[in-house]
Amino acid sequence: MARWRPYLLGLLGVAALTFPFLWLQLRPNTTDNTIQTAWAPEHGLQFFGDLLPVFLAALLIWLGVRANRRWRLSDTIALTAAWQSADKTWSRYWAWIAMPLVLCGTFGFGPSNLTLMTDVGIYMLLALGLNITVGMTGLLVLGYAGFYAFGAYFFAITQQHAGFFPWWIAAPVAFPLGGLMGYLLGLPCLRLRGDYLAIVTLGFAEAFRETISNLDFTGGAQGLSIEAGNKLRGLAGLSHQQVAYVVVALVVFLAVFFVQRLYHSPIGRAWVAIRENEIAASAVGVPVVQMKLFAFSLSAAIAAAAGVLSGASDGFVSPTLCQFNQSISILAMVILGGLGNTYGVLLGAALLYLVPEYLKRVSMLQDSAFFTSLPDFLRASFLHLADYQFLIFGAVMVLMMLYRPQGLLGSTRRKEEILHR
Amino acid sequence: MSSTLTDILVGGISRGAMYALVALGYTMVYGVLGMINFAHGEIFMIGMFSCVFAMGVFSLAWGNLIVLNLTLGIVVAMIISAGYGYANERIAYRRLRKAHVLAPLTSAIGISTFLQYFIFLTVSRDAVNFPRFYSDYLTNHHLKLGPVDFSYLQIMILGLTFVIMCALFYLINHTRLGIALRATAQDQLMASLVGVPVNKIIAFTFILGSALAAIAGVMYSMYNDTLIFNSGYRIGLKAFTAAILGGIGNVPGAVLGALIIGLTEALTTYGFGSEWDDVSTFAMLMLVLLLRPRGLLGERVANKV
Repeated sequence: MARWRPYLLGLLGVAALTFPFLWLQLRPNTTDNTIQTAWAPEHGLQFFGDLLPVFLAALLIWLGVRANRRWRLSDTIALTAAWQSADKTWSRYWAWIAMPLVLCGTFGFGPSNLTLMTDVGIYMLLALGLNITVGMTGLLVLGYAGFYAFGAYFFAITQQHAGFFPWWIAAPVAFPLGGLMGYLLGLPCLRLRGDYLAIVTLGFAEAFRETISNLDFTGGAQGLSIEAGNKLRGLAGLSHQQVAYVVVALVVFLAVFFVQRLYHSPIGRAWVAIRENEIAASAVGVPVVQMKLFAFSLSAAIAAAAGVLSGASDGFVSPTLCQFNQSISILAMVILGGLGNTYGVLLGAALLYLVPEYLKRVSMLQDSAFFTSLPDFLRASFLHLADYQFLIFGAVMVLMMLYRPQGLLGSTRRKEEILHR
Repeated sequence: MSSTLTDILVGGISRGAMYALVALGYTMVYGVLGMINFAHGEIFMIGMFSCVFAMGVFSLAWGNLIVLNLTLGIVVAMIISAGYGYANERIAYRRLRKAHVLAPLTSAIGISTFLQYFIFLTVSRDAVNFPRFYSDYLTNHHLKLGPVDFSYLQIMILGLTFVIMCALFYLINHTRLGIALRATAQDQLMASLVGVPVNKIIAFTFILGSALAAIAGVMYSMYNDTLIFNSGYRIGLKAFTAAILGGIGNVPGAVLGALIIGLTEALTTYGFGSEWDDVSTFAMLMLVLLLRPRGLLGERVANKV
C-alpha cells in the first residue's frame, strides 16, 4: 500500500485538475450573456472511450517492456538486426541493396498509396534535416516548418514570374537559399544560449506564416498553385505519381548517404562534441559557433529543398505548410525515432506519418465487414482516433523523454548521455 | 472606441500589463532553473478556461452575482492553474533536471501540445465567448482623465497588475521565502547545504508563475472576449520575447519588456493592421538579440530571481 501511495495521490490530483474539463460542459446563455456549467458525464466517457485503443496499446507496450526486462528478448532481435548497430561492413552496403527494392516498389502500389509514400519521403527528408540540429548538435528548433514553407513559397513565387522554372532547377537553388536563411537567423542567437534558437525559429515560422497569409503576391490564405510545366509530371511511360515517388526516394537516399558521411566525418564529431559538452568542445578547439551555424543552415537548406519537392509533387503551396503543428510533428518524428540516429528518424517519420494517415483511412472503411463486427464503442473510438493524434504526440514526447530518451532505435549509451549531463 | 493615439497607447499598456504577468512566470522559472518553461503559455490558457467553468458552476449554485462570481472565478482559476503548473514541474522538469538541456525542453513542449489538444478535444474546438454579462459593466464604463480615456476594465488590469507587481517585489526582496528563492537561483547546491528546501522552492516558483498567468488569462479573455485552445502559444511567444527584451531572469526587466512589447503591438496594429502583430514581435526579438542580447536590464545580476 505504502508503495502505491504516491501514485494514488498523483492520480487523484490529476483527476481533480482535469475534472471540470472532462466532466462538465459549458452552456452559454445567449439572451442575457451569462454562462452556466452543466454536469455532462457522457463527455468524459466519450473521451476515455475514444482513447481506449491507445490505452490498450500502451498496456501492451508496457507488458512487452516488462517481459523483455525478464527474458532479454530484444537481445536476439538486436543480434539478427546487427547491421543497424556497430557492424560497419554491412551498414555500408545495405543502402545500395535497399534502393532498387524501394524503387521497384513504385510499380506495386496504386496512385493514392504512391502519393502517400511520396509524402512519407518528404517527411523523411525533413526529419533527416531536423535531426542534424536537434539530434546531432543538440539545439532545439521549434519552427522548422518555416524553412519548409520558405522553400515551397520560393519555388511557387519564382515560377509564377519566371514562367519556365521547373522543380529540378528550383530545388538546387532553394537549397543554398534556405541555408542562407538559416545562417542569417542563426547568426544572432547561436552566439547565445542554445535554447534561444527554439524561440527564434518559432517566432520566425509564425511571422513567416503571417506574412504569406497577408500578402497578395503570395496568394493569401489560399496559397498558390504550381504551373503544370514546372511540377513533377509523367515521363517515359511512368505516371505522375510514379515519377514523384522515384524522385523523392532518390533524394532521400542521397540525403541519407550525405548525412551519414557527414556524421562520421570530423564535422559530425564536432557536432556530437558540442551536444555532449559545449565548453569542453570549445576547449579542445572545436569552433563551436561555426559548427552550430553550419548544422543549422544545413538543416534549413534541406527543409527548403524538401519544400520545393513538396510543391512540385502536390502542385500547390499554402500557409498550412508552416503551421506550428507541422513543426511539432517533425520534431516528434525525430524524437520518436531516436535523437541523432539517422535510420531511427526515418523510421519515426514513416510511423508518425503513416499511422495517422491510415487512421484517417480507417474512417472511410466504416461500413466494411470487419468494422461492423466490432462492438459499437470500439468502432467509434477507431473513427475518432485521428482527432486525437496531437494529444498522443504530446504524451509520446513526454513519455519518450522520461523513459526512453534515446528513441526507438537508440543505444543505452545514448540514454545515459541524455539523462546525465 | 475611437482610435486616437492616446487610446491606442492606453490599450497597448493594458496589453503589456497582461503580458508582464505571463512574462514573470518565464523569467522566474528561468532564474531558478536556467530553463525555459515552454508549457507556460498553456497554463495561461488553462487559467482562462477554468475561470469560465468556475463562474458557470457558481451561477448554477447561487445565481448571477457579478462581483462574487468573478472574484471567486479568478481565485479558482489561480488554484487550478497552479495545480497544472505543479504537475508540469513534477512531470516534465523534476526528473530531467540533471539531463541534457534538450530533454526538459522537449518534454515541456510535449506537455504544451498535450494540454492544447486536451482542451481542444474536451472543451471546444472553436472560440468560446467570454460571458459578456460579467465583463459588460467593466468594458462599457469609462473614466476620462484629461485627454486619456480608460475603460473600467483597463483600470482593473493596470491596477491589479500594479498591486501584484508590488506584492511580488516585496515577496522576493523582503521575505524569508524570497531570500530562499534568490539563494536557489544563485546556487542550488549551496542553498540546499544551508537548509533551503530546493525542491519545494522550485515547485513554488512554478506555482507562483502559474497563478500569475491565470490572472493574466482571465483578464485577457475579458479584454478580447474570446477563449480558444491555441491562444497560449502566441501569448507565450510574446511574453517570452518580453522576458528576453528585459533580460531573462530579471523580474523588473520582464515588466519593462512586456510594456514595450504591448506598445509595439498596439502601434503596429494602429499603423498596419492587427494581422501584422506577430511579425512586429518577431522583429523586436531579432533586434534585441542582435543589438543587446542580454536584454535591457540584463546586467543587474544581483537582482536576479
